[in-house]
Amino acid sequence: MPAGRRGPAAQSARRPPPLLPLLLLCVLGAPQAGSGAHTAVISPQDPTLLIGSSLLATCSVHGDPPGATAEGLYWTLNGRRLPPELSRVLNASTLALALANLNGSRQQSGDNLVCHARDGSILAGSCLYVGLPPEKPVNISCWSKNMKDLTCRWTPGAHGETFLHTNYSLKYKLRWYGQDNTCEEYHTVGPHSCHIPKDLALFTPYEIWVEATNRLGSARSDVLTLDILDVVTTDPPPDVHVSRVGGLEDQLSVRWVSPPALKDFLFQAKYQIRYRVEDSVDWKVVDDVSNQTSCRLAGLKPGTVYFVQVRCNPFGIYGSKKAGIWSEWSHPTAASTPRSERSGPGGGACEPRGGEPSSGPVRRELKQFLGWLKKHAYCSNLSFRLYDQWRAWMQKSHKTRNQHRTRGSCPRADGARREVLPDKL
Amino acid sequence: MRTEHWLHDGEIVEALEKDQNPASASLTLPLCCKASPRDRVSAHLCLLTLLLPPLSSAVPISPAESISQAYSLALYMQKNTSMLLQTYLQYQGSPFSDPGFSAPELQLSSLPPATAFFKTWRTLDDGERLSLAQGAFLALTQHLQLVRDDQSDLNPGSPILLAQLGTARLRAQGLLGNMAAIMTALGLPMPPEEDTLGLVTFGASAFERKCLGYVVTREYGHWTDRAVRDLALLKAKYPA
Repeated sequence: MPAGRRGPAAQSARRPPPLLPLLLLCVLGAPQAGSGAHTAVISPQDPTLLIGSSLLATCSVHGDPPGATAEGLYWTLNGRRLPPELSRVLNASTLALALANLNGSRQQSGDNLVCHARDGSILAGSCLYVGLPPEKPVNISCWSKNMKDLTCRWTPGAHGETFLHTNYSLKYKLRWYGQDNTCEEYHTVGPHSCHIPKDLALFTPYEIWVEATNRLGSARSDVLTLDILDVVTTDPPPDVHVSRVGGLEDQLSVRWVSPPALKDFLFQAKYQIRYRVEDSVDWKVVDDVSNQTSCRLAGLKPGTVYFVQVRCNPFGIYGSKKAGIWSEWSHPTAASTPRSERSGPGGGACEPRGGEPSSGPVRRELKQFLGWLKKHAYCSNLSFRLYDQWRAWMQKSHKTRNQHRTRGSCPRADGARREVLPDKL
Repeated sequence: MRTEHWLHDGEIVEALEKDQNPASASLTLPLCCKASPRDRVSAHLCLLTLLLPPLSSAVPISPAESISQAYSLALYMQKNTSMLLQTYLQYQGSPFSDPGFSAPELQLSSLPPATAFFKTWRTLDDGERLSLAQGAFLALTQHLQLVRDDQSDLNPGSPILLAQLGTARLRAQGLLGNMAAIMTALGLPMPPEEDTLGLVTFGASAFERKCLGYVVTREYGHWTDRAVRDLALLKAKYPA
C-alpha cells in the first residue's frame, strides 16, 4: 500500500494549509507548533546494519494538543506497510517495531522506514543502511602511456554487491621511500579505474594498492609492485601506408613510422601487423616484426581489397627486461592487390626485400606443388589433369578457409581421406 | 531569430531565441552578463551588475522589455519543474519514488508558501508582488544549493540528478536577476538579500534531508507557476 497518500475520508478532515507556516516535519531549526498536527521522532536515525541482522525501532509522538497518542500509527518500509504483528505499543505515545533478518538496502540513499499517522501522513522517518562490508579489490593492472602517466584498473571483490555505497581509492608510493599518495582522477577507463597524470619516477619500483570503504568497513587489495618502465605502452604507429609491389598480384608492401612519442627509445620495439580481406572478419596476424618499419605481405589473393593495421610494443625500453604493453591498432589502411586469374596460397610472413622477378609466383607455385606431391608420393599418375585439379582445389580452399576437404586427392592405401593444409607446404 | 546566451556564475545558462528587434538589440543593461558564445564574464562582475543600479547604462530599459524577458524565462523554467521533482523522487526510493507520491503535510518554514488567496494576490501592488517573488526565489536558490549538497552525499552516483539541481538553481538565480531588472525599471527599491536558511542544524538525518529536498523541489515548481502568473499580470499592466 503506498504511503504518504491520504484516503478520501482523511482528505475532508484536513485543514487547508494557511498562509502562516504550518507545523513542520523537516525543518532546519526548532519545529514550530501549528494547530492540530503532531511531530514524531524515530529512533535510531540512520542506522547501519549487516545483512541479516535485526532492528528495534521506536516512533515517539509529541505535539499539540498534548496527549497525542500512539494509537493508529503504523510503519512502512520502502513504501510497503509492515504487518501489524511486528509493531507494539510501548506506551501512550510510543510505537515500537521489531524487524528481523534484514535484506540489503534497495537504494544507496538508504531504505525509508516511515512512521505514519492514522490518516496516512508522514510523521517521521529514518533511513536504514543494510549491507556488507567491502571485499578486497583484485586484479589490479596498470599501464603507462609513453612513460608520462599511469592508469590503473581493478575489479571489486568477489561478491561485488555490498548494497551500500562503496568508495574506492587507489593509492601508490615509492617502494622504499616516501609517503602514500592518492590517485585523484577516477573512472577514466571504466568504473573502477584511476589515472595518475604526473610526478612519477622511472627506474624505481612503486607499490600500488586499492582501498575500498563503506559504512560497514574497509578492505585493501594486495600490493602490486611495478616499475613504470615495465608497463609502458605507446601510441599506434602513425602514417601506415600500404601499397602494391609493382605488378605482383599476391603481395602488398606495408610501411609505417615509429611512434613519435618514444622514437628516441624504440630501438628494440616490436611490431605486429594484422590484415584481412575486405568482407571477412578473420584477421591474419604477422608476428615477429622486430624493429623494422616496413614489411611485405605475401601470398595474398589478387584483385582483392585488404585492410591492414599495425601496432607497437615498446619492448625493452631503457633496458627493461619485461615486454611492454601493446599499443592500440592503427587506423585500418586499405589497399588492393592487382588483378589476376591466379590465386596464391595464404602466407603469414614478411617477404625479404629486394623485388623478385615476376616469374617468382610461378616458381613458388611449382615448388609448393612439388611439396604437395611429396606428401602424396604414392600417386603414380602425374598429369596435367592432376595439376589442374590441384589448382582448382587451391582456389576453392582459399575461399572456404575452414573447410579442408581435398578434392580429387589421391586415395590412401587404407582408403581414408587426408586433409592438407596449404600453410604447411 | 537571434540566439543569446545568458551567463550566471560564469556558466552559460540558456540560449533563448529572440526575435530580431532593433529596440532589444540596444538593450545593454546586463540582466545577467550577456555574452557571445566565446567569452565568459566572471561571476563577480555578474553579481555586481545585478545589484548596482544601472547608472552607467546609456539607454533606459522599459519595464515592458524586462517583464517580457522575465516572463519568457519563467515559462521556460515551468517546462522542466515537474521533471526535476520526478527525478528527485526517483532517487530517494519508495515511498518517495512511488507513482503519484504526495505529502503536502511536509512543509518548510524557511520557504514562503506559493499559494495565496486569489483576491489578496490579485490586488498586490507591483512592489509587493515582485518583492514576494524575489524573496521566494532567493530562498529557493539557497535551498537548492543545500539539497544539491545533501544529494551528492546521499546519492553520490547520480550525475543526472545533481546536474538538474544545479541547473534549477542557476535558472532561479537568472529569474532573480530579471526581476531585479524589473524593479529597477519601475523605480522600485531592491529588497535586501537575506540568508533565508537561517541557522542550519548540521545534524539533520538522512530521512529529514530527503524530505527537505522533496519540499524544495515541489515548492520550486509551485513558485515557478506563480511567477508565470505574476509576470503575466505585469505584462498586461505594462504593455510594450
